[in-house]
Amino acid sequence: MPPRVRQPRLQSTLPRPSIPPHQCQCVCQTRSRQFSSTSQHATRQRDDMFRWLNGPGSVFRQPLPGSTNYINAYDKGGNLIRARDMRAGENNGGGAEEKAESKEKDVDEGEVRDLEVDVETATIKHKKAQRPSRGATTNAVPLPKETAEDLMPFPMNRQFRSQSVLSEELKDAIYERVMVQGKSVRDVSAALGVEMRRVGAVVRLKAVEKEWESKGKPLATPYSKAVLSMLPQTPYIPNDPRVHESINDLPVHRATTLQLFQPVSETRHFDRRDAAQAFQRNLLPAEDRIPHRELYLMEKWRYEGVQRDERIQRMRERNEEDFWAKKEREDRRRERERTEVTKVDHGRSVFKFQDVKVDVRAGKDGRGPAGVGARYGVPHQDRKRGMIKIPTRVG
Amino acid sequence: MRKRFHGLKRVKIRQSWNKYNLYNLARAEPPRIDNRTFFQQKWTAKSLTRAYHGETVREKKWHKLFRRTIKAVINMDPKALAENDGSEHAEGRGSGLDVPANQKPKSLPKIPYLNMIYAPTERRLDTAVFRALFASSTRQARQFVIHGYVKVNGEKMIYPGYQLNPGDMFQVEPDRVLFATGARKDRAERAAGRKLRAAKASQNAAAEQSESESEPTEPSSPKSDPPPEVAVPEKDAKKALQSLISQAKAILSSPSSALTAQRKQDLRAFQRTVKRNLSRPDALTTTSLDSQLAEITAKMAPKPTAPIPSNPLDLPTLSSPELQAEAATLSPNQLKTLRAALAEARENPIDASKPYATPWRPRDWMSAFAFIPRYLEVHHKICSAVYIRHPVARPGLAEVPTPYNFDLNSLAHNWYLRRR
Repeated sequence: MPPRVRQPRLQSTLPRPSIPPHQCQCVCQTRSRQFSSTSQHATRQRDDMFRWLNGPGSVFRQPLPGSTNYINAYDKGGNLIRARDMRAGENNGGGAEEKAESKEKDVDEGEVRDLEVDVETATIKHKKAQRPSRGATTNAVPLPKETAEDLMPFPMNRQFRSQSVLSEELKDAIYERVMVQGKSVRDVSAALGVEMRRVGAVVRLKAVEKEWESKGKPLATPYSKAVLSMLPQTPYIPNDPRVHESINDLPVHRATTLQLFQPVSETRHFDRRDAAQAFQRNLLPAEDRIPHRELYLMEKWRYEGVQRDERIQRMRERNEEDFWAKKEREDRRRERERTEVTKVDHGRSVFKFQDVKVDVRAGKDGRGPAGVGARYGVPHQDRKRGMIKIPTRVG
Repeated sequence: MRKRFHGLKRVKIRQSWNKYNLYNLARAEPPRIDNRTFFQQKWTAKSLTRAYHGETVREKKWHKLFRRTIKAVINMDPKALAENDGSEHAEGRGSGLDVPANQKPKSLPKIPYLNMIYAPTERRLDTAVFRALFASSTRQARQFVIHGYVKVNGEKMIYPGYQLNPGDMFQVEPDRVLFATGARKDRAERAAGRKLRAAKASQNAAAEQSESESEPTEPSSPKSDPPPEVAVPEKDAKKALQSLISQAKAILSSPSSALTAQRKQDLRAFQRTVKRNLSRPDALTTTSLDSQLAEITAKMAPKPTAPIPSNPLDLPTLSSPELQAEAATLSPNQLKTLRAALAEARENPIDASKPYATPWRPRDWMSAFAFIPRYLEVHHKICSAVYIRHPVARPGLAEVPTPYNFDLNSLAHNWYLRRR
């Protein structure tokens, strides 16, 4: 069968040029390029994309002032859903009087704004000079707060939300309380509703920032401001701190993820401690595994009817005991290390030597599971006569 | 071999702030897999999710990272714990007392465990840098790591696959972050940058030439110097003077009795620098070190930069007396405005030498992608972040940012189980 000659997709109405194709300029400039291998489909898709980017998608080009700007907050036409709803609510519910009031308000705000416009035009002008501002954002009425739906950056995934970050003021407050007032990380965490590990991280990062400042190293302040304005933030209100995140997170223990049927007599008082032991022998109940156990104890004493002063006194004693116990443990560890470990410093690395009693770890026959030989070197005995191969215990 | 990173035909969502990616994300729908075999469904799910999560990680490596166990937490209320000891759950016939349906406490939403399958990739350094909003894509973050712009706990870390541990602090060079997240230069700005670089290069060449000429007969040959330049770039001068000061400090602080070889070398180097500075036509003629240092410190003091010239308000620079007079007539409120504008201009100056548009502003399309997961604590001012803990799932919420829904993720999870 002779090879088939491919027909061009679109029949050109132009007369066939007599010059060879590589010289032909006029034909290549038409919309349908006959010699191009680019599929028409891809080009159409690109056109669609740019149409979207210049149309409904143009709202994402610049951040929305004073708010987050995620895909899920907009409808297909590129309208902010909560702004649309607010407008609809106003049109439906607002009486004539309310409207008049709101108008007055607007005027008042307009006057107040006049003074502030100077600040804005002075500082943001360079942006405006290059790009025309969005019409919707110049609304005089402030936008309502984002709903949980508006904080979903991925429209398909409803289980992921952009969660708020600490505001600069809150970070400053954390640093002040820990480093200046000398409060414990635990107390600051409970008071401000910030996880303990986060409190530690904030203090560390703030310390680096202060160091940079003292050295005169330039900070990325404009970047920081711009990014924080795009994110939901937890504000700092000195007298009424907002809870930033859950501070008493209980890790889901692996042993508790399987369903368990435990026959128990009817008269038995079966509480959390028993349930934990049923799941695993050494598993502690939830109240002993949460990070802020002291909050639980305070609540418990209150529930038992202990007076406030007495509760505080008890907590103080407990803290002191904890402190001394911790100190003693630490001292003992240091002492043990000092006496038992010989250190040889080679500049690049420090060698540590410690005497080990092999008998204790490996057992008398050298086959103990903690000994080195259990895994490497010691031949198995499981083929000997009379040795039980099936494990007798599941560890 | 992959053809396109951001395809419009074969849509793969990526870890990037690209506008193609934004378009793909905005129009993305769960793939239609109803009429396909279970194997095909899993394959599709795996291929889509892997294109987003750790696409630079090879499949075999990811297989080793994958864990069936997924971390989850549940928030405990200390008050509820104190008031009940848990025995109420065992009352009645062993599963709590029967209560009418309308009085039943609201049960917690389900924990979306399977949205967390790619939690191990979130530990990677390059992914964390991207998640902290220090780079515009994971690939860019990876490049930053490889090029040595990222530090972990103060040490340079050049491996993008480094698995961060809870408590690790990572820092990215601020200039790189500003470049990655800042708007691009337009044509005029690029031209200005080129001009500046060319000027600097010619200056350097001239300086070298003058140095080589003046070195044998030192300060006594002012005529051989090139004609005084128009303006020494402030940054260069600043750098040289900074180094001078630090050298001087080091020498003055060390005890004078210990005249070791190193110290002699230092002294010689310092003398050379001072001489070179003095040989410049615009330098002072006095040779005393003190006055020189004083001069240097005076130069080092931050000069108030001129405000943005394109301002319509014509902010007075306070340099000319007329403008100053005008400034004097301003009301306190306006003066405050003026001060704020000046402060902002100083904080975010115009600098053609930077690889991004100045004054700095965020790049286009960034806001749709800007979120910070809770397992990171980011301090943007110093371009540093701490990886505080591993990502966890909690009732109704999974901390791993994934664009796909629970169904697709569970299919992908199924793919990676040993027996699929």
